[in-house]
Amino acid sequence: MLPVSRFSYHIYRLGMQENIERSGPSRDNPSFRTFLSMISSYRIRAGMAAWLLHRLTGLSLVFYLVIHIMGLRSLGDPAAFELYITTFRNPLFKIAEVMLLGAIAFHAFNGVRILIQDIFFRSERQRILFYAVLALSSIVTLAGGLLIIFPYFIAPFLP
Amino acid sequence: MSSEHGLQRIYSSRSGQLGWLMRRITGVGLLFFVGLHFWIQHMPNGFLATAEEYNEIIKGFEKITPEFADAIAKGKIREALPGEHVITYDKVLERLHTPLWKTVDITLLLFALLHGMLGMANVLGDYIQNASLRKVAVIFCWAVILFLATQGIVTVMTVGTN
Repeated sequence: MLPVSRFSYHIYRLGMQENIERSGPSRDNPSFRTFLSMISSYRIRAGMAAWLLHRLTGLSLVFYLVIHIMGLRSLGDPAAFELYITTFRNPLFKIAEVMLLGAIAFHAFNGVRILIQDIFFRSERQRILFYAVLALSSIVTLAGGLLIIFPYFIAPFLP
Repeated sequence: MSSEHGLQRIYSSRSGQLGWLMRRITGVGLLFFVGLHFWIQHMPNGFLATAEEYNEIIKGFEKITPEFADAIAKGKIREALPGEHVITYDKVLERLHTPLWKTVDITLLLFALLHGMLGMANVLGDYIQNASLRKVAVIFCWAVILFLATQGIVTVMTVGTN
């Protein structure tokens, strides 16, 4: 186990307790509607949002990695490779490419945030760090994304 | 009982900390390798063909094989838009000709696979309650690592040999 300070553990327990209390009556009457009300009663904190986004982007990237490695087997044949590349030059795939960059950027910056917190253990700074992660990944995604979609969605509309 | 103490115990495979350590090491490495990979393969620069170069390459294709001519006629290989940079076989071959780029790409492949699939094992472990099923999930993830590592290394090492 990693060292967890007693202080942050109590903060964590208090947060959990609050979530359970806020979702109170729904636990006695389970249905899809009460499930939704329970979910919406959760106060999404920076740490939870970071954890959820890190997991979702991670799973998407693993899914992409498998397709990517299997697809690149077409490098064995020049014609097959050019066909493969043309498929991914479709405008819809260009948007997917921007989303891929977004997932990579968030996962990378959030990974650095986790690393920084593990080294310095400044839990009171975590919210600021999370906002920095969001800002940095947005900047990288916007800048890289513009370069990716430029020939497809911007250049045709320029005079 | 040295195996019961210190690093050996903390980073034993049973505690799951070995996976954590490997994900952390590969994660730091991937900051560099994925950054580089995305820069050279997705951003406009000399590792990709410019629109003019690519359209020139396509014209050459038509003479090479009927396969290419057919694909171009059917629009399965399209001309580049103005200002577009395109990944193309020639450029990839040129880059992978050097042993350094082969090493970089294989390192990227192995780091990404280890980081991704060990992360997957960790996620699966969160939702699988049964201990033996969890073991199956870990073995499955390692099998995927081995399979895809083989596929990728064969791709990188054999490109341009036939």
